[in-house]
Amino acid sequence: MDRRLFMQVAGTGALAAGSIACPRFFRKAEAAPVIPAGIPTTCELCPNKCSVIAELRNGLIHKLNPNPENPKSRGMLCARGNAAIQQVYDPDRLKQPLIRAGARGEGKWRPVSWEEAWDYTARKLSEVKEKHGPQGTLWSSTEGFQEVFFKNLGMAFGSPNILRHPSLCLASVNLAYSMTFGTVPSFDLLNADFVIMAGANRFESIITPDTMDLIGGVMERKAKFIYLDPRFTVTASKADEWHPIRPGTDLAFILAMIHVILKEERQDKAFLEAFTLGYEQLAEHVKPYTPEWAELETGIAAKDIVRIARAFADSAPRAVFYAGRRSSWYTNDFQMRRAQAILNAVVGNWDRQGGMVPNQKVPKGEFMFLPWDDPKAPRVDEVEKNFPLASAKDGVYLPLRENVLKGQPYPVKAWMVYKQDPLHSVPDQGRTLKMIEQMDFVGVIDIAMSDTAWFADVVFPESHYLERTDPIEVLPGIWPAAVLRQQVAKPIHDTKPCLEIVQGLAKRLGLNDFFDYTIEQWVEAEARELPIANGLEHIKKHGVVAFSEPKYGATRNPVNRFVTKSGKIELFSERLQEAGHDPLPKYTPPAAVPEGRFRMVLGRKATITHAGLTHLPWLHEHHKENDVWLNPEPAARLGIRTGDLVEVASQVGRVRLKARVTEEIRPDCIFMLHGFGKKSPWLKRVHGVGAADAVLLETAWDKVSGNAAMHETFVKVAKV
Amino acid sequence: MDPFPAFRRRFRKEAQMKLTKLAVIALLGLALPLSAEEKGSDTKGKFYFKKSCKTCHVKGGSALELTPLSKTQAQWRKVFDAGRHGKAGEGFSPKFGTPEQIRDIKTFLINHASDSPQPETCGG
Repeated sequence: MDRRLFMQVAGTGALAAGSIACPRFFRKAEAAPVIPAGIPTTCELCPNKCSVIAELRNGLIHKLNPNPENPKSRGMLCARGNAAIQQVYDPDRLKQPLIRAGARGEGKWRPVSWEEAWDYTARKLSEVKEKHGPQGTLWSSTEGFQEVFFKNLGMAFGSPNILRHPSLCLASVNLAYSMTFGTVPSFDLLNADFVIMAGANRFESIITPDTMDLIGGVMERKAKFIYLDPRFTVTASKADEWHPIRPGTDLAFILAMIHVILKEERQDKAFLEAFTLGYEQLAEHVKPYTPEWAELETGIAAKDIVRIARAFADSAPRAVFYAGRRSSWYTNDFQMRRAQAILNAVVGNWDRQGGMVPNQKVPKGEFMFLPWDDPKAPRVDEVEKNFPLASAKDGVYLPLRENVLKGQPYPVKAWMVYKQDPLHSVPDQGRTLKMIEQMDFVGVIDIAMSDTAWFADVVFPESHYLERTDPIEVLPGIWPAAVLRQQVAKPIHDTKPCLEIVQGLAKRLGLNDFFDYTIEQWVEAEARELPIANGLEHIKKHGVVAFSEPKYGATRNPVNRFVTKSGKIELFSERLQEAGHDPLPKYTPPAAVPEGRFRMVLGRKATITHAGLTHLPWLHEHHKENDVWLNPEPAARLGIRTGDLVEVASQVGRVRLKARVTEEIRPDCIFMLHGFGKKSPWLKRVHGVGAADAVLLETAWDKVSGNAAMHETFVKVAKV
Repeated sequence: MDPFPAFRRRFRKEAQMKLTKLAVIALLGLALPLSAEEKGSDTKGKFYFKKSCKTCHVKGGSALELTPLSKTQAQWRKVFDAGRHGKAGEGFSPKFGTPEQIRDIKTFLINHASDSPQPETCGG
């Protein structure tokens, strides 16, 4: 079905009929989707949450297929998604609860019953609470459908220290766009005519739906595509132009673009007048940021900056400067993202087809559980005091670790971890190990023996996503969806879903009343308000509810109040000024690369977006070991050739791995992939293989959001 | 099967505990003008907002749909300080919750209003 025709149909009769022919609009007319037989569920291998249909044979999961009914999946399931089967049948996965029997990290474990693991953990948590108060416990997790239960246990226990992953990921981009537009929009890559990406290697480090739309927009419709990156990535190879920008100078490039657009009066004046605040201050602010000045900072010729700025403005509103996802690069990351947001606003691409679009949501119900008392102590990361604009609910990871290590403002002595491997996801592994050492208790809930689990006192084995049912999740977007993750196969080992693990602890901690429900009751309450007849039945059968047509322009209404302090799109931010930050993005040059050193830059690839994926056989097959990328010019100077073993050393750690000499990186940078050099022998394919980037990364964070700044580390490289 | 047994138990318990206060308020015929200085529980406010207010203030409900984003902080303060509620301006009578619960709701709505530093919808 033609996409436009589908929109017309879906917007009228389909909802009333109650049988939703969900999105086929991303497919060409001749390619009618075939919905595979099997049990629909939702992938958990990365944050994209693509819809999956699991095919079983003889009670075993045989194959995972994409579910074409979810528009966000864009009809595909990537290599990571397919490899989920191997997590279930991994002979080395966690199979029952374990209590440490030797020293931390020694690898001596005692298999125990669930009752013993719960009793032991509850006793340890209670001891810490008795001595230090509930604030003496830390509860950290990464995103997931059952994360809510883990967080709720920490809050019901009385701890203010609930620590989520955004400050290791996209907190700076979320905050920057929220402070400008009052929300974090989607980028309509499918319909854009002109796309600029800086460092977001979207063709290679897959993010659906953006990667698929980029293929549709750039490759099929021949949209103009400009790419900035110190590395020549797969995305660079598909772009019209690749500019190996000097790292840390993206803000200079963006400010110069705004300078050109305003100077040549190519901005969308009517839009700026009607919807924004602070245009005059912005115009004055960008005057010094000329293309000639930016050329000296970025290494990109002034004439190219001018040309790109003109073409970008002239293509608007179907022109976007893409925000990226994992954004944490420099200590001024927030201001760089703010400048992106402002550049987009200046050309008036807000809420227009092919521009930036505020997300729609599919409504759903909510399970009402008992509320607990607010915590009495402030957060240990002092987020309210030092990062007043950041999300107080998520916290700031690196400042938190530093405070815990100092014991300030109070001691934190127990650490519960869910679905996260801080020894790899947090910079400076040595300091994270120190934090573990100074804990009286560490408990981990995971499906595999991660490095952090390896150093824990108790390990709770969680059932794999294909073995459990999770809450319904709403995926906001231009084409929003609500998805269900439901059990496909019974657990093959003595594992439990996070909710049941939490309930076992809650019972022993006297918090039973707060968790007195089942996952079925939870899902039923959520399904009750899905905007479709027989919502529960529908979402169990289809795995997804998705039928909204795109709504462009709903917020381009004079009476619309943006969710900002002023109610307008804030080019100039009073709130930033009040918090002591620059109200308009001010350029500060990055630290110069010291003589004889290299800036370490990070990135991802399609099979390895998360550290936990590298040991899965199908993914490991594609990349068995990481190496360090080095430009031929410094490599020759250092006498290094491809395949040589080299030592890479920062101020906080040193690792050994093989060298890859390549022209696909700037001479002042090195690059290595994430997820190797594991300490846990249970991850045998990557145990001691290659090196962990977290060992080298130094502690630095963005000043406004507290987001970890991952490109502020300089290293020496030497042949071994 | 009752899907909310714990909730009902707790709600009943709280209701009993507040009975004396409620009776006094009802006798005096007071609505609940709340000063801006009062600090309630954000967490509980979210719960009581959903439990009490959202029975009517939903899309297609008997009253205008409301989330914290529906008003600015000043507008929410005004609503509560003036005790404005209902078509006849009858205020927040005890049927909407105890004074503590109304204060919690006020705290939640102000903390997450449209112009607040931490704006949010009420979920769902």
